[in-house]
Amino acid sequence: MAFRNKKLVYAIAAVALLLLVFVPLPTLTLKGKGAVRGAMAPAERSTSSLWKRLSEASAAIRGMGGALEKNRELSHDIVRLQAELNRLSDAEDDNTHLRRAFGFYNEQRFSMIPADVVSRNISGWWNTVRIGKGSKAGIEEGHAVISPDGLVGKTTEVSPLTTEVLLLSDPACRVSAKIKRVDAFGLVRGMGTNLRGEPKARIAFVNKDIEIRVNDEVVTSGLGAFPKGVHIGYVNKVYRDDSGLFQYAEIVPRATVGLLDYVFVLSSIRQEEKE
Amino acid sequence: MMRRILMLLTIALGGLLQQLLPSWPLCGGIKPPVVAAIALHYALRSDKKEMWLAILFAAVLQDGLDLGSFGPALLAFPAVGLLAYRIRNEIFADGLVTQLALGALLGFFTTLVTLLVYSASGQRDVPLLTGFLRLLSSIGLGMATLPLVSRTITRIEASLPQRKAYGWQ
Repeated sequence: MAFRNKKLVYAIAAVALLLLVFVPLPTLTLKGKGAVRGAMAPAERSTSSLWKRLSEASAAIRGMGGALEKNRELSHDIVRLQAELNRLSDAEDDNTHLRRAFGFYNEQRFSMIPADVVSRNISGWWNTVRIGKGSKAGIEEGHAVISPDGLVGKTTEVSPLTTEVLLLSDPACRVSAKIKRVDAFGLVRGMGTNLRGEPKARIAFVNKDIEIRVNDEVVTSGLGAFPKGVHIGYVNKVYRDDSGLFQYAEIVPRATVGLLDYVFVLSSIRQEEKE
Repeated sequence: MMRRILMLLTIALGGLLQQLLPSWPLCGGIKPPVVAAIALHYALRSDKKEMWLAILFAAVLQDGLDLGSFGPALLAFPAVGLLAYRIRNEIFADGLVTQLALGALLGFFTTLVTLLVYSASGQRDVPLLTGFLRLLSSIGLGMATLPLVSRTITRIEASLPQRKAYGWQ
């Protein structure tokens, strides 16, 4: 009897497990994952900060002079960027006035939420990183994530304290983009990494009558939830298929993130916040 | 009780370590199965309750920290753990050859289950060549990870005061 009961328990457990895997309930899955990630978040943050300090210490040991020089360069950059920002701020004011005058009210604006990268993907099956901020900081699913080098990826699976960022190199990451020089639209899709570990992506569905050149800049098109004109990368190789309707090109995404980096999540500002 | 807490902490630390480790492109991008190796180490040396605790905690941790639905680890870890639990009286768990063989089995089986789950559920499109490379690499990574993890845990446990015998011994 006990043997039969044991078999029944195993059978029920197996069926429940298969249901959990193949018929997942998104909210339940997200809650479960949120609980696990929330429990691990403090440890991840501590590990990441410890790692950062160790790296900084080793960099300091390697050369104080280099750090000072870098500091000076960064100070110059801050001054230069501040001046640029002031100029752009004036231009934006003019732009807003003109838009109002012509009745363009549908422009989307974005706020930037800074966040630290606290860990990488655990299995290696996905090209993701985890950042130390979640829905409590105002992050939602599908937001663009950028670094000073350009588009990093987009947010997915947001829990209260952490957010998974699907990197641009992941095959599941798709972004509407355009080739800046010729204003040709296409869809950027991740292609994983090459054997040297460099990320790869491809811009597809580009009209075949448009001439794409190597080193053409690819930026976001502004369609969907992403802001317009965020740098993605440069064209590396162009593939033309005379029999097809479209052409595609291989691009090298410039913004790659490491464990010690910080990124910005672009969150759209709602109309009521704008006013 | 203390031993169980220590076991869970070790698995959680393994999870942190696995996340920190970079993925090697030559291995198809997969990482060394540190969490699975720790769970298997405890499955070979604990009583049934502890074995299930270790296996389920490790599986929930791995799937919880990974993207996609719960599943790959929840299916693979109990299967490997149960097999290890059944055969542990017939093998020498601390022997290098046994650990190499079990590590290879662990790596291969967890990767195979992940591949099948992702393909069947449509969560991930894995090209044939990449899938094959990952399966082959997982054997090597499992062989390298299990003996290393097992020896490290044994040494740490031996250095702790008042080490008690394992429940089943």
